[in-house]
Amino acid sequence: MVFILGNNFHELKLVKKALESFYALGPQASARVLAKYSIHPRAKMGSLPPKTITALTAELSSMTIENEARRVVQDNIKRLRDIGTYRGRRHAMGLPVRGQNTRTQIETAKRLNRVDRKG
Amino acid sequence: MSAPNCLRCLLQLRPSVAVPRYVASRSTAAASAIPIASAWTAPFSTTTARDAKKKDKSGGGTHIRAGKKIKLGKFKKNTTADRGKAPAPGERKAYRKKILLSNNNALPVPGLADLSAEDMLNPKNAATVLSIPDAVVDQLRASEAFKPTQCWGVFRKPSVLLRSETIDLMTRMKGAAKQKQTLRLVVTGDRITGKSMLLLQAMTHAFLNDWIVVNIPEGQELTTACTEYAAIPGSDPVRYMQQNYVLKLIQAIRKANEKVFSKLSTVHSHPELPQHIPVGSPLMQLANSAKEADNAWMIFQALWQELTARGRPPLLFALDGLAHVMKVSDYRSPAFELIHSHDLALVRLFVESLSGAGAFPNGGAILAATSRGNSPRTPTMELALAQREAEQAKDAAADVPQPDPFFRGYDERVQAALRTVQVLKLSGITKLEARVLMEYWAASGILRTTVDETAVSEKWTLGGNGVVGEMERAALLTMRL
Repeated sequence: MVFILGNNFHELKLVKKALESFYALGPQASARVLAKYSIHPRAKMGSLPPKTITALTAELSSMTIENEARRVVQDNIKRLRDIGTYRGRRHAMGLPVRGQNTRTQIETAKRLNRVDRKG
Repeated sequence: MSAPNCLRCLLQLRPSVAVPRYVASRSTAAASAIPIASAWTAPFSTTTARDAKKKDKSGGGTHIRAGKKIKLGKFKKNTTADRGKAPAPGERKAYRKKILLSNNNALPVPGLADLSAEDMLNPKNAATVLSIPDAVVDQLRASEAFKPTQCWGVFRKPSVLLRSETIDLMTRMKGAAKQKQTLRLVVTGDRITGKSMLLLQAMTHAFLNDWIVVNIPEGQELTTACTEYAAIPGSDPVRYMQQNYVLKLIQAIRKANEKVFSKLSTVHSHPELPQHIPVGSPLMQLANSAKEADNAWMIFQALWQELTARGRPPLLFALDGLAHVMKVSDYRSPAFELIHSHDLALVRLFVESLSGAGAFPNGGAILAATSRGNSPRTPTMELALAQREAEQAKDAAADVPQPDPFFRGYDERVQAALRTVQVLKLSGITKLEARVLMEYWAASGILRTTVDETAVSEKWTLGGNGVVGEMERAALLTMRL
């Protein structure tokens, strides 16, 4: 098991996949992180030397990911709500924000649109 | 509603039931001759009085039409189904890449001689099949000269056809080594015309003559970003080493060249290495010191320095799949820019040797083979090889292809690397060579026809005027299981 930023990863997991398991770290960002530490895209976690692993942890802790990234989204929604915009209100009500019909098919909006947004 | 019995079965059933006993008991010829018998057969059946014997035996009524089967609970998954053991990681790949070099079911070919050191130089040996000695087979296997796509596994013993190009190439290699010069040559040609096989023959020749052989079996392994890489500290402009690959390569070199290495000792001191290797210690010791990937590149450099010191045997440096090392690689620098293949240190070593910048003081050869099955498009390399080929053609240099003025994708570095190489273009084999090859196949018990003029011509033509791989497909395809 390899330990990065408080998470354990199996040794056979691709480094790219492991990085992308963090919230707000997608393919673009992961490719850049890999390039920065000269890790080839098909590297597995088990093949990383300990030095690189600590460097990766340090790198990730300096990035806006996981809870920090979530908080940014929540702050944006909160701001919209506080200034009383339509988008803010729709978020608070858990309804679609961009003028969609609401008779059916609003499950995604129900799940995601809330003031303390999780995902 | 479906009938419980198949209608066709019923139609077959009828004559046997209804034909009078005296007709059925007669001989079948007589029965079919009698008009009564045919009158009893089904009106729309084309199988007139089919098999009188059958009628007697079973009555033909045993077949019951299956109809629709009702299966209860078909949506329930059978979770307890035993799927067997899943293959271990890497097992499938190992199976895919395995190389079988002999087959005990194939017949031993009488009169098949082993190759000797001088055999590949003798023009009399053109169009003969000779087998590779066992010791050399081990060396070739260690340097990964055999490919999984070649069908060694259907013959008793690995044997090769010496074609006129083989003799030509080996003579050139020999000439270059004699004059302490380096033959720089690219083998090219259409699909399955035997480019990799020619490289293998060159390696065989080198091993038989106690050369040192360094082989990079696939150019793509170096540039498709599937092996570890790291910037070489202190290099400017930045070069990249591929530690794990180099470690594997050192081990392959050591294993393949054990015979030569055991006679040699170091002539340089290598203070930069972690392990102290004094001058005069055996070369095997240096090669054996590569145990970890971390210092593999350093050891490889030291080893290369030793191999290219004066007074060593000639060196053969070979690479298959040239197109892959003549393009921008899939690796990225820390600044997220794509790295050119020529900035990868090992590739750079090869390319510099190929371009003539790093000649071997003891002579030898640098051979590269292009690949048609697996190669990225490299317009610069294609153009450069076409130009060199036209320049080297004896008739006239008037038709040297010119670069397309409206195309921007040419690569200066690739052009520079291929500016002075020789090109050997392979095409089909001659009919004589085809005949010899087919006789070898037949003698091995694999080709089961008489090898005569017609058969040879047929396969030669089917194989696109003697393209070896296509001939093999035409003649041995049924054997590939």
